[in-house]
Amino acid sequence: MAEILAGLSAVLAWQVLGFLAIGVCLGAVFGALPGLTATMGVALLTPLTFWVSPEQGLAMLLGIYCGTIPSGGIPAILINVPGTPASIAASWDGYALTRKGQAGLALGINALASTTGQLTSIAFLAFLAFPIASFALRFGPAEYFGLTLLGVSLMAGVSGGHVLKGVLSGTLGLALALVGLDPMTAYPRYTFGMSEFLDGISFVPVMIGLFGLGEVLVQISDRQSVRASAAAAIGRVLPRIADAKRMARATFSGAAVGTMVGAIPAAGGDIGAVIAWEQARRTSSDGDSFGKGSLSGLAASCSACNAAIGGGMTTMLTLGIPGDAVSAILIGALLIHGIQPGPLLFANNQAFVFSIVFLMIFASLLIMVIGILGAKPLAKVLSIPAPWLWAGIIVFGTVGAYALNNAVTDVWAMYVAGVAGFLFRKTQIPLGPLVLGLILGPLMESNLRRALILSRGDWSAMLTRPILLVFLAATLLSLLWPLIRARRGAAKRSQGRIPDA
Amino acid sequence: MVSRVMASLAEGHLNVPIVCEYKPGASGALAFSFVARRASDGYTIGHAPVEIAIVRSLGYADIGPSDVSLICLVSKTAPALVVHPDSPWQSFDDFIAAAKTGTGNIVMANSGIGSIWHFNILLLEQGTGARFTHLPYGGSAPALVSVIGRHSDAAVAAVGEVISHVRAGSLRALAVFDAARAGVMAEVPTTHELGYPIGAPAWSGFYGPAGMPAERVAMLADAFKTAFETAEWTEFCRELGMEAHYLGKEDFAAFALEQQRFFESRIPQLVRLENP
Repeated sequence: MAEILAGLSAVLAWQVLGFLAIGVCLGAVFGALPGLTATMGVALLTPLTFWVSPEQGLAMLLGIYCGTIPSGGIPAILINVPGTPASIAASWDGYALTRKGQAGLALGINALASTTGQLTSIAFLAFLAFPIASFALRFGPAEYFGLTLLGVSLMAGVSGGHVLKGVLSGTLGLALALVGLDPMTAYPRYTFGMSEFLDGISFVPVMIGLFGLGEVLVQISDRQSVRASAAAAIGRVLPRIADAKRMARATFSGAAVGTMVGAIPAAGGDIGAVIAWEQARRTSSDGDSFGKGSLSGLAASCSACNAAIGGGMTTMLTLGIPGDAVSAILIGALLIHGIQPGPLLFANNQAFVFSIVFLMIFASLLIMVIGILGAKPLAKVLSIPAPWLWAGIIVFGTVGAYALNNAVTDVWAMYVAGVAGFLFRKTQIPLGPLVLGLILGPLMESNLRRALILSRGDWSAMLTRPILLVFLAATLLSLLWPLIRARRGAAKRSQGRIPDA
Repeated sequence: MVSRVMASLAEGHLNVPIVCEYKPGASGALAFSFVARRASDGYTIGHAPVEIAIVRSLGYADIGPSDVSLICLVSKTAPALVVHPDSPWQSFDDFIAAAKTGTGNIVMANSGIGSIWHFNILLLEQGTGARFTHLPYGGSAPALVSVIGRHSDAAVAAVGEVISHVRAGSLRALAVFDAARAGVMAEVPTTHELGYPIGAPAWSGFYGPAGMPAERVAMLADAFKTAFETAEWTEFCRELGMEAHYLGKEDFAAFALEQQRFFESRIPQLVRLENP
């Protein structure tokens, strides 16, 4: 108890809270602009923190981390362009709500569910850090393969009912992920002799192109715009109590899924949100509305991708292992300030752990306030005349794609992906599986091959691993589910017809 | 990180702000090619890690230390061999003995084929006659995690990368691949004192495009030298487990060329040895 109070008092200084607020605001800007990522924000500002006290520096970095992911949902909801890969799942229901004239409500749910997800994961961090960490450590190559396979298959299975089109898109993403150095032998693949391709195709420019530029091209070619119909309608921001009650289960189970997935090193909010969304859909009494503007679907995905933050921090603080790129930089920042993440930190410096917990709590409350107050002004984006908005998306997309790695190759990747996104939309092939395939492909491939190195090429030895078996079963189920449901539906219909006959 | 800290310490002496731009890709090959193509006015310089002496041997880019104007070297980092604390190997000799008897029973995680730490593992195999099953990861952090989670048996990574886990008791360091012991891990023996003079450290320096005017090089080297001598730099190196080590223009050029010859002569031979 004394440690909790000491931790709280260390952060209750106006300078610390001021730096936290600066961090959250910067994070919100970084998150809302596709191409600017939390990783980049934290990396850019880490050197600045050498000149302030450890608490102040940490406050700013945690503020950025906690501020980025919630605001990544904002462009996903308003213009169907996810600000971060973690917000892809949020665009499915969020953008559908915007088309229905409920942009305000979607933004409100994003703010509330994001903060709920963060706070839940922080609670896990404060009370269950070590059990979660030991679960994360059990993830060896075979388990990673199972998790990523499930992620891609869920995406393919759930996107819009066209399983085959989803599989096509996901497979294309996996194929694109093969470009670059072979992860096991470092031999260049599909690089056509260009060193720019050695590190593979970055997914952020592809995501911006597919979602952003692709959407713009479709709107131009259809000569219609959502904004024309639903422009003025922003609607209420805060959900009704009854709606909130109905969303509660999806929100909290999403937070639990997100925390667990986030705790596993290298798996983050992107895959966590998809798994949480699918889980919410399957357990919902109204699963058919998912993807068409379901409040629960939006809440589950927003909550899960934010809960991954607390999960990642748990692994980082308990084991000294980075859960994602951001926490890897945070470890470096802590080391420079002479703070060593790991089991000893919890034993010797509990007050510091609680300082982090309180900083994250304050940051997530602050981003919620910003999200709710900002919903109405932000939704004004929708009343911008369409051509202006299109031009804006293209400009920001181009800058974002370049800013990622300072590479012109990425800008070209963005434009090519934009044209592909246009064709995909015209042929109703879902875009999500492609991006997820591209993100998860390297993880999936390298871990399958690692697992095979460890089992000496024996595929059957992998099947003795319980966690992997659970993932494989879930993968099979997600791919077969639409078929099973269709058959059941047919059976019901034919049963229904018997009395008539 | 090295360049950002160095830049912030050096810019006061140059009276111009230093803007750090991050160009990832292909073990630094993209960044080397980018800097080498810029105007040689001294306003674009790059951070030169050990990879500048390696990428040509790996075929990533046709560039090496002699194609650029080297300015100075500021730090060095030795590799360390680590195992899980619950593993039966208490010492380097235990470990090597076990690796010699088995036929690749010991799984050795590395931070990527062609990385400097993987290269050190190959040197270890060549120098001691040990054989491992190699498990490549995309960087040191995941390779170390796989040892901590007992998915692999051992790993080689920078002293600075393993020190935190060693202090926390989640990894055990068996040897540092260097002639002298590492300041932050003085209790760990070196390969040289154990009778195996192997090891290729990672290092960090700065360089500009070829043909930079001598006075510009000298000016930059002076600024970095002043930055190198600050207490902040010593502290930064100590915290990250690096060795603050300064080499001026001529010494750095000689050292880098010698390193390039070393990698050029050893890489083909080690690749044959592994022959997966």
